[in-house]
Amino acid sequence: MASTLANRTKLITRHLTTAAKSIMSDAKHPITLYTAQTPNGVKVSILLEELGLPYNVRTISFDKTEQKEPWFLEINPNGRIPALTDSSFDNGKGINLMESGCILQYLVETYDKDHKISYPHGTAEYWDVQQWVYFQNAGVGPMQGQANHFYRYAPEKIPYGINRYQTETARLYGVLNTRLEQQAKKGSGFLVGDKLTIADITTYGWVRSAGWAGIDIENFPALKKWEELLDEREGFKKGRDVPTPSRIKEMAKDEEAAKREAAKASAWIMKKD
Amino acid sequence: MSSPQFTLYAHIGPNPWKVVFLLEELGLTYKLAHVDTSKNEHKEAPYVLLNPNGRMPTLVDHHNNDFAIWESGAIMLYLIEKYDTQKKLSFEKFESEALAKQYLMFQMSGQGPYFGQAVWFEVYHPEKVPSASDRYMAEIKRIVTVLNTILEGRNWLVEDKCSYADLSFIPWMWLFDWPVMKMSNWREVPEYKNVVRWYDAMEAMECVKKTKEIRATEFKMPSS
Ligand SMILES: N[C@@H](CCC(=O)N[C@@H](CS)C(=O)NCC(=O)O)C(=O)O
Ligand SMILES: N[C@@H](CCC(=O)N[C@@H](CS)C(=O)NCC(=O)O)C(=O)O
Repeated sequence: MASTLANRTKLITRHLTTAAKSIMSDAKHPITLYTAQTPNGVKVSILLEELGLPYNVRTISFDKTEQKEPWFLEINPNGRIPALTDSSFDNGKGINLMESGCILQYLVETYDKDHKISYPHGTAEYWDVQQWVYFQNAGVGPMQGQANHFYRYAPEKIPYGINRYQTETARLYGVLNTRLEQQAKKGSGFLVGDKLTIADITTYGWVRSAGWAGIDIENFPALKKWEELLDEREGFKKGRDVPTPSRIKEMAKDEEAAKREAAKASAWIMKKD
Repeated sequence: MSSPQFTLYAHIGPNPWKVVFLLEELGLTYKLAHVDTSKNEHKEAPYVLLNPNGRMPTLVDHHNNDFAIWESGAIMLYLIEKYDTQKKLSFEKFESEALAKQYLMFQMSGQGPYFGQAVWFEVYHPEKVPSASDRYMAEIKRIVTVLNTILEGRNWLVEDKCSYADLSFIPWMWLFDWPVMKMSNWREVPEYKNVVRWYDAMEAMECVKKTKEIRATEFKMPSS
């Protein structure tokens, strides 16, 4: 561990490597999204599509452990995707952002000035959006991610681990389902207010991947209906296929394909850093 | 004496105390409402009417039509945006605020969930599951080294000032000083040295000291 840590500390003073520079010079648009085909990655591409913002895509290869390369850690010290850079920020000073939930907050605050998919600061709906964004990023994501780990990737089958995280994920889905039932009574198909917000966008990729974690969406009818409503939106269709077509639903249904995919993912997940 | 402005629904776990730091530092009046998890109060009405997720904390603002808000990250942003008008714990610059929000999200999504799993498998779960313990202990150490990297050459996460983003990491860091976590030598680990300096600076702050006293007297502290 010590050598990795020492390396990390060295990174601080290191400047952008040639790899990062070449990406920057290829960049056509101020916004670059560093991503992979995962629930956290597609949140950001879906939002960018919904807002109609142009952006460059830089795919990060987990097989090659690119997310831990020095040039990427300059952008996101946590070594995870997604990350986003916006060179137009602060009069050209630029900004590097990590954490998908925060990237969503940043993008609507900076680029959705006429509140197409957001609510003005300080309104009750604004705070409601924040609650549900945190609920996904601090709850659904981490817990469903652990369910994936024990159900799909862990080399050793630990029934307690599988059960613990599938149960918690199902509980969280229940909270979403109840919320959507209440929203339906008010005539809304969305988590907050009466229009699409980042609360929906942040949650969608994970709910879409329910089967991968061994969660049956049929047990959550209101949530399923909500997912189907979002499936049909152009921004979602485009955004979920960044950087490559999303195959998670088909894969979760096909045992053999699922096993192959899980083995592939397990190889990088179980790599020690 | 007029009645306090806020009610904070709390329990002994780490998340409510992030909010107490802010209430104390901003000089806001509040009362703590204990939610008794052993009686399942957090999963039943009336509590779930305030917080459908049945977790603590939830904040009610009696000066704003009893507005209720949950998820500690959202509560912190609410208090900061509405009541930190002097920018004591936050920033004028939009840029700095964007970064503070990023670190708060990292705390909520990165630190909290994994520290929570680590303490579960290390301390509370009655059976030993070595691969799970190892997984989460490795992850929380990784997160602290990420913080250490971020803090290299600087005192605080954003600008040169302690903000809500810094404070949000403190309650889970208490685990490192909790003997049963077997991390008590963490202060001597060179790879954590920036975090130690940063953590100790916050532990010396009045709002943190006061919050720890309140937590110790109002709730029975778990024995080590
Ligand atoms: N809370 C983070 C989680 C990010 C995350 O888990 N990213 C995964 C892909 S979905 C990753 O990059 N994993 C690579 C690794 O752990 O090395 C966020 O929402 O951005
Ligand atoms: N280092 C990760 C690799 C797997 C990973 O990054 N998974 C992502 C999903 S692709 C995750 O669980 N993210 C949790 C979150 O988003 O909160 C692990 O061991 O769990």
